Formats: sequence, structure tokens, C-alpha cells
Amino acid sequence: MSQASTPHKPRKKKRQLVRSNTLTDIARVEPGSDSINPEFNLVSFLLPARGKSQWISIPLILIFTGLFRWATGIWGYSGQGIPPMHGDFEAQRHWMEVTQHTPVSMWYFYDLPYWGLDYPPLTAYHSWVCGKIGTLINPEWFALFTSRGYESPDLKVYMRATVIISEYLVYVAALIIFIRHYSRSQGIGTTAANTALVAILMQPATMLIDHGHFQYNTVMLGFVIASLSSIYANRPLWSCIYFVLALGFKQMALYYAPAIFAYLLGSSLTPRLRISRLLAIAIITILAFAAVLAPLMAGTLYDLYRGFDLPYRPPPAFLAQRRITLDPKTTTGALTLQLSQMIHRIFPFARGLFEDKVANFWCTLHTFYKLHRLESYIQLPRLSAYFTFMTILPSMSVLFGCPRPSLIPYAFASCAFGFFLFSFQVHEKSILLPLLPMTLLLSSKKGLSKEYRAWIGFANAVAVYTMFPLLRRDGLRTPYTVLSLLWSWLLGLPPLSMSCYYDPDLPNVPGRPLAPDELRTLTKIFHWWFYAVMGFWHLLAAFAEPPATKPDLWVVVNACVGCVGFVVCYVWCTWKLILESGLLNDYFEDTAKYIDSLMGGEEVWGVGEQQDGVEKEENAEDTIVVQSPGSGEKATPKGKGKGGKKRR
Amino acid sequence: MTSSFSLGQVLDLKPIAREIRPKAPQSTQEQYHPTLWQCTVVAATLKILLLPAYKSTDFEVHRNWLAITHSLPPWEWYYERTSEWTLDYPPYFAAFEWLLSQLAALIDSDMVDTNNLNYSSWPTIAFQRASVIVSELLLFAALYFFVASTPFGARKQSHAVALSILLSPGFLIIDHIHFQYNSMMYGILIFSIALARTDSGLLSSGILFAVLLCFKHIYLYLAPAYFVYLLRAYCLSRNNVFRPHILNCIKLGVSVLAVFGAAFGPFAYWGQLDQLMSRLFPFSRGLCHAYWAPNMWAIYSFVDRLLILVAPYLKLSIDPGALHSVTRGLVGDTSFAVLPNISPKLCFSLTLAFHIQALTTLWLKPTWETFVGALTLCGYASFLFGWHVHEKAVLLIIIPFSLIALKDRSYLASFRPLAVAGYISLFPLLFTAQEYPIKTAYTIGWLILFLYVFDRLAPAPSRQRVFLLDRFALLYNAISVPLIIYCSLVHQVLFRDKYEFLPLMFTSTYCAVGVITSWIGFMVCYLSS
Repeated sequence: MSQASTPHKPRKKKRQLVRSNTLTDIARVEPGSDSINPEFNLVSFLLPARGKSQWISIPLILIFTGLFRWATGIWGYSGQGIPPMHGDFEAQRHWMEVTQHTPVSMWYFYDLPYWGLDYPPLTAYHSWVCGKIGTLINPEWFALFTSRGYESPDLKVYMRATVIISEYLVYVAALIIFIRHYSRSQGIGTTAANTALVAILMQPATMLIDHGHFQYNTVMLGFVIASLSSIYANRPLWSCIYFVLALGFKQMALYYAPAIFAYLLGSSLTPRLRISRLLAIAIITILAFAAVLAPLMAGTLYDLYRGFDLPYRPPPAFLAQRRITLDPKTTTGALTLQLSQMIHRIFPFARGLFEDKVANFWCTLHTFYKLHRLESYIQLPRLSAYFTFMTILPSMSVLFGCPRPSLIPYAFASCAFGFFLFSFQVHEKSILLPLLPMTLLLSSKKGLSKEYRAWIGFANAVAVYTMFPLLRRDGLRTPYTVLSLLWSWLLGLPPLSMSCYYDPDLPNVPGRPLAPDELRTLTKIFHWWFYAVMGFWHLLAAFAEPPATKPDLWVVVNACVGCVGFVVCYVWCTWKLILESGLLNDYFEDTAKYIDSLMGGEEVWGVGEQQDGVEKEENAEDTIVVQSPGSGEKATPKGKGKGGKKRR
Repeated sequence: MTSSFSLGQVLDLKPIAREIRPKAPQSTQEQYHPTLWQCTVVAATLKILLLPAYKSTDFEVHRNWLAITHSLPPWEWYYERTSEWTLDYPPYFAAFEWLLSQLAALIDSDMVDTNNLNYSSWPTIAFQRASVIVSELLLFAALYFFVASTPFGARKQSHAVALSILLSPGFLIIDHIHFQYNSMMYGILIFSIALARTDSGLLSSGILFAVLLCFKHIYLYLAPAYFVYLLRAYCLSRNNVFRPHILNCIKLGVSVLAVFGAAFGPFAYWGQLDQLMSRLFPFSRGLCHAYWAPNMWAIYSFVDRLLILVAPYLKLSIDPGALHSVTRGLVGDTSFAVLPNISPKLCFSLTLAFHIQALTTLWLKPTWETFVGALTLCGYASFLFGWHVHEKAVLLIIIPFSLIALKDRSYLASFRPLAVAGYISLFPLLFTAQEYPIKTAYTIGWLILFLYVFDRLAPAPSRQRVFLLDRFALLYNAISVPLIIYCSLVHQVLFRDKYEFLPLMFTSTYCAVGVITSWIGFMVCYLSS
């Protein structure tokens, strides 16, 4: 915009901006003019960075999203000022204390009723590092026993800092690299990729849980992202290593395990059998597991060598049941005992099917049909295992059948949703797992289109909504409101904007064919209805007293509503996975041919493109959607059942 | 062709001819992204998240004022002294507090009790913080008006400037964390400056500035520039100094008197003017404020400190009573050990001298840009040589300067060290660990963003560059990083709690160098244009 009046000499020659095709998803380019109108608010902030150096824009994004994280952190945390057990904050602090002051072999044994360590060893090592540094600053924070329930502003700042630093080192770094690889493979432009980056970083659920409630989920999620990113960078072995690290940090990463297993196995078998690859993957995985366990085991051996007497009472339940006794004085005995105790701590099968109120299938079912009545017919854990298996089967089989990297986020989301809805011992915070791959889809080729934004926004809204009872307990109502509204405002989502559901340029006439990224009317109605229900629930929770006999009524309603939402999200992810895989293309073609023959046998569209090229990833969907001009007016084939959601 | 519908036609998904809708009227104003409103929203969310952040005694000061204005009749406002934080802002601000207190009483009636010292319930915090966030909308409106009043060719630049002011770390640190209402008042100031662009707006500009003075008297520092500009451009003919516009003089005089009359009249009627003035202008304070504002006197005291160290070798006489005066860091009288002491008279005459120099240029060339330049220079002179200057007063320079910083690159070159020094000098205001990442990250982010954007938007100067600050500025900016690290971390590790004044002294000396350099650079630009 040089002015005629001032002699403006630009220092650098302006680069010609190449408009990537995804720009039309995030901005409306006025034909014939230079003005670009952003589709949603977030794009406004990133459009000026078009064509500018990434060395400026990425640090700025990190600084400003980091500010929001830190600002969330100055609010309350889980269990603040609630003795004697406090909450997750105290648990993490306690682990730093335990790992500081007890020998390695004691970590999984020390005073289990008071926040005994129940995460895999990487968490323990992480706690050890954080505790070491913290002790340098103030030894009181992590003094053995006397520091229980210790609370001070300094400690809070330190703990918050450990979360944010761990997150930036793992999650954010992985995410930036992931988006680089992924956006390249999907062919999306820098501005769209940066938009997706900000959207993912500002995801309210993750921020509120990690920086508000206090946990280190992002470290685990970061390793998962790193694992995904390695797949896109075509380094499957690194992917295994990162995935094992994720598992080694939090066992919850198991939610993704079937999907990544299916992918790695499938990619070694198709298009041709590659034994070496399969073997390499297996060996690397085992080695990585060994590496994760090594310090723990070495520590145990060292303690044994020192003659440290381990109070191995009581022995892990599953050993005691089988009457297996191990002699902690022998090497193998000590190692096995340590390992089995760790597994016993990590997978608490002795606990119930679900704890608290969580928006999954079992809790919802329990509301209407008391589950103990089932117990006489079948063991509940087994039942839950069957259901989980059924729900993760689609994602596993699709990924096994066509192991294409572009399908992985869908499969991960679908698989994790299956686990969240049906598996055993689910926490409300576990919703972050299915949410992550679904939100990562924002950086996919169609990720910022109205359709995807609406669905991803919907999933995020429901997720953060189901965590409201938890966040309210932690005194995080204001950050909850502010961050979730900010996110929806940035992405043009309800309740603040309807732009995802409505295009002012399209005529409002019934029977108009849907625009490429438009949602079906039924879907729109469902979404709006759902947002209305969630809004109404907030009104109820704020102003209405639950009946005296059912004090938890609102929380239960919240969980049930959330469950319905998640089931729908699960269906969407799975359906998208199947569509994107192209497995149903033949089916659609047949239907289309059939309908066309009924309608008078005009040229069947899409066949020409379909025949050449087996691996037409990019056009897999376009071919069945694009209507050739001559025959476009013929009815769109009606996909059966849920097909309605996707057919355009 | 019959117009009957068959079932087939209904089912047929014929593409319907696009309904031609009247396009939304294209505004003549091209939209720049992100818009002011979008930035306001995002910034507001961050500020809401900062509700529980550290708050200084100014929070209690303002709460006390809410209580005073709510529970006492106006004629007792300036006499009330239950709390040590007596009302020392002019009457309009007191009236503003009175308005707020009406709402406050509904929210938490304990908040407006004068005896309830240091009361900070959650509703009180939320209400007071929210009042700052809401009153900042005035700044948004002013900036919107400022951009709209810019001539078309420079609108992109002024949009960037408006964003930089809206998102200024100064307001975040001083208003939303430390707690004050500056953003609102700077809103009034910017309104007034923007109005002064056109001849028709001069009168309202003057009235608004008078109103502003009755909100907060610190803006008296800028008053000389207003006086000269309005006199020259509004009261006298632009072409002929000796032909006064009598009608304009009367209009301006009457309205300004009316504004002041409405503010101070009642107090004059109650015979309280002396009391009011003694509250507004407490002359008993020392040369340097608790944390040395980065001005000439900061460098002066720094040199004095250095001389104490070398005095034995140079055989200089040391005033033993003054040895520990500055190190105490208290609000009080400052005396120097080696260098001669500074009297208020000296401060005043230095300030006046530099004011006169800036105003002469304005008198000779009464254009809007010279006017803003003169405002900036008045801010500089008062800040650099003033008596008991607060570090917060640096906004008096930064904000007017921002408005013309993109005039050309030589202006920008002197703006850069000012922005760096000015904002870093605010850091000592927040000393808690929790706020440390916020102030540093936000300020660094702001500096990267806006210095980069400004660099791309500033046009080349139309005349030969006379002053080369670039190299110096780069070096200067680079030093800020180790300085921040030293002050926040290394000093703690090295000395623990000893020599607490050292980081403060380094910060203010460093910042003073930046402010003074930028002042020299700006003077050159201003005088040579």
C-alpha cells in the first residue's frame, strides 16, 4: 500500500504471494480486488502474517498463547486449600517429594493410600527432575513427609512453571513439527497451518485441565503428536519410540494403541509384506520399553545390592490371588516384584467400572438401569472389554486394511472415543485423548472448512462442557467461561457466531443443493439443539437447586448429555474415516449408477477419474462429490443411514 | 409452458439460480485486519483471566475512594483521612468514582465503607478490575475515531498505531495488574488529539483536554502545548498572528472556564480550594520516586553512586549523611553524596526551558503533526527533568509519540529505544514471581510484533537522515535481554536479599539512557522538519 505522496522505498522486495487453495476456506477473496475477508475471527489475526517470516509469526504465536496459559494458571488448582487429601496438584507435588527422598525401588510402594504413585515410570522420572530443581530453590517444598499439603504462592508458581515448560518442550514443539509435516502432506498453506496451530494451542479443554486443574497431560499428548509427526515424516521407528514414551508417561495413551498398532502392522503388510520393517518395529518397540523401564530396574538392583530392605507388604493383589510368592532378596524376584507392583499400580482393576460422574456409556446407562443388576449375568469388566472391542474394531480394521497416514487422525479419534465411551475406569479428563486427534484435523486439507470446524468445535464444546463440574470444584468457572467463549469466538462457532452453519452468499431456499462444505440441515438442527441444551443446563446449574433427594442431578444430566454428544462425535469420526479411506467408493458408484439408470441413464459422473490411479488419496472423495455439469441436476445418491451426514 | 409443479420437479435438485442479493454497501474505509474490535475482545479475555493477579496498594487507594465518594457528601471528600490513601485526584475523577460506587454498593456494600481498610473480597476485586476493563472501551472508541479521522493514504499506518496503543503493555501492567484507570484517560487524550486534526474540531479538542485535566492533573505536563496550539491555530488567524478571532477566543474561554467551573466551582463555593490544591500538589516529596523513574536524575544518581566508589581516589568530599539515602528506596528526600543536590527550582526551570524550545517551533508552524510533536516533547521534558516523577508517567511520552511514530523512518528510529526503555522501566512495578512471566512475555511479544510491523510500514524520510541511531538502538535493545535476566534471576542467586537497589538502579539507568537517546533523536527530527 504505497502512497503516492511519500517516497516509500520498501526495504525488501515484496514477494509475490502464492494463494494456496485452502485460503478459500479461511478467507473470502473478492474477485477482481485485492481485499481478503476472513471467514472467522482467528484468521484476521493471522492474515497480516501472510508472506512474512515464520521466524516472526511462530514465536509470537507461542508467546501469546503462552500468556493465556500462564494467566489461566493464576487461578485455582485442584484441591487448593482442601485438606487432608487436596487434589491432583498435591498428588504431583507428593510424587516429586517421594521420588526425591525414597530409593528408586520404593517409588511404587511408598505409603500408597496417600497419593501412591500410579503412573508409569516416565512420570516418576519427570517428577524426580522437577523435584530436584525445586529442592534447589526451596527445600521445604518437597521435604519428606513434612511437606504434605504444602501450599504457598511460590510453590504454585514453580509447579505451574514445570507444567508450562514441560508442555513447551514436548507438546508445543511436537505440534509445530507435526503441523509442518502434516500440512505439507495435505497441501495446505502457511496461513491456514498457522491458523490451525493457534486453534489447537488455544483448545480450552486442554488448557483448563493442565494449567487450571493441574496435570501433565500435554506431555503425554505431545509424545503422541510426535509419534504422529514421525509417521508423516516417514520415520515409523521414531514413531514407535515416541509412542512408547507416551505410554511410559501416562497409561492413558493406550487409548490410541490399537489404532497405531493396526497402522504399523498394516503398513508392514500392504502393499507387500515387509518382514524387515515388521521386525524392526517390534524390536524398536521392545527396546524402547526396556529403556523406559531401565532406570527403575537399575535402581531396584542397586538398592538390592546396597542391601536395602524393601517392605514388600502387601504383595500386589493379582499375585496374591494366584498364590505366587516372590522372594525380594533374589535378583529376579525383586525385578519381577517391582514390575508387577508397577503394573498393579498403573492398572487398578480392583476399582469400579467408572468413578465419579463421567460422560461415558456406562455412567449414562447406570442412570437409567442400575448396572449391578447385570452383574449376575456377566462380569462388568468383561462386558466393557467386549463393548470397547466392538467400537474400536472399525477404526482398527480400516487402518489395517488401508494404512494411509492421512487416515490416522480419524482413526485415533475414533479409537479413543471408543475407549472413552466403553472402557473401564474412565476419568472425565480422559476426553482430552479423543479430542486431540479430532482437533488436529483442523490442520488437514478440509480442516478449516465450515463442516469440519462445526464438528470439531462441537466436540470441543461438549468436552469442555462435561468438565464443567470438575472445573467448578477447582474454582475455575471464570477461566472456563472466558476460554471456551474465546475459542468459539475465534473459530466462528456457537454460541457467539453461526458462521459455520450459515453462508450469507447462498440463497435460503429449500431444496438447494448443498455447498461443498455445508452441513446437512438435520445436522445443523442437531448441533443447535445441542448447544441450546448445554446453555440451558448452565442456567439450571447456576440458578436452580437440584431436588433434595438427588443432589447430584445436574452433574448426572451433564454426563448423560455429554455422552450423547460423544457418541455422535464417535460416529462422525468413524464415518469420516470410512469415507476418507475410499472403501465405500465402489458402493457409492454402484448406487449412483443404479439411481442414474432409474433416472434415465445419463452419464455416470466420476467414473473416468476413478479408473486411473488406484492410490488417488487426494481425490478419493472429490471424485464422488464433483458433479459434472451436464448431469449435476440429477439426485445425489442417498447413502444409507449415517451416509446422510456426509453426502453433499 | 405451464407453471404447474410435478413431483419430479420438486424432487429434482435443480441448481436454483443464485438469488441476487444487494451487496452490503462497501464502506469507503478498507478493513485492516485484525480490527480494533477483535483485538479489544482478545485483550479483554486475557485481562479477565488476570483478575486474581497481583494488585498494588493502588487497588486499595481506589477502593477507598469508592468508599469516600459513596459514604460522604462532596464537601468532605477532600478532608476525609481515615485511610492514608486520601483522595488526591481532581473532582471529575472523584465524580467518576462516585458513579462507580453506586454500582459497587449494589454488589458488595462492605466495599464502600470507609473504615473497611484493605478490604478485598472477591466481588470487590472482580468489580474493580471489571470497571477498568469496561472503562477501557473509551480508549477503544478514541482509537477508532483516531483511525477514522486519518487521511486515507496513511490509514494503514494509523491502524497499526492504534493497535499498538490498544495493546500497549503499559496499560496491561499499570491498569490491569498494578491497578489504575490510565487507559480511560488516555482515551480522552487521544480523542482530544484526534479532534485537533481539523479546524472544526479544535474547540471540542480544547474542551476535552480541560475535562481530562479535571480527571487527572498529571496531564498538566502537556498543557503548554495545548495552550500554544489552540491559541495559535484557533484564537489567532493561521496566516496573521496579529488578527485574533475574537469569537473563537470567547467560545474557547467560556467553555474551558465552564469545564473548570463545574469541577472546582463547588469546592470554591465551600471554600476548600486550598485544601484541594494541597491534596493535588503535595510538594513535600523527594526528587526521585521509590523506584527511580528512568530520567536525567536517575543517571545523575547513578553517577553519584559511582563517584562514591571512586571518590577516595579522586579526593572528593563525600556527604556522609547521604550515603544511604537512595538505597533506602523510600519515598522521601533524596540527597547526593558527591554531586550537588538538585532543587525543585532547577527542575522546574530546566523543564520550562525545554518546553519553550518545543513551543516556539509549534508557534511558528502550527500544524497537527507539530502539535503532536510538541506534546511529545512536553512529555519528554517533564519526564526527564521533572521533580518526583513516577515511572508510569513514561506513557505521557509513549502515547503521543506513537501517534506520529510512523511519520517516517527517522521518527521510528527514535521511537524504538523509547518503546524498549519505557516499557522495561515499568517492570519493577510488578515484583511478584507470578506476574513475572506475564509482564516479560507480553512486553517482549509486543515489542517484537509492533517494532516489526512499524518497520515495514514506516515510509522513508523525505529528507536526508541526520541522525543515525540504528546501530546504537540495535545494541541497546540487545542489552535489555541480559539486563532482564540479571535483574530477575542472577541477582537473586548472587546476592540473595542484599543490595536490593542494584537491579532497580541498573534498570532505571539503562532505561534512562534509552529515553534520553530517543529524546535527542526526536528533537532532531522535530526541529529539522
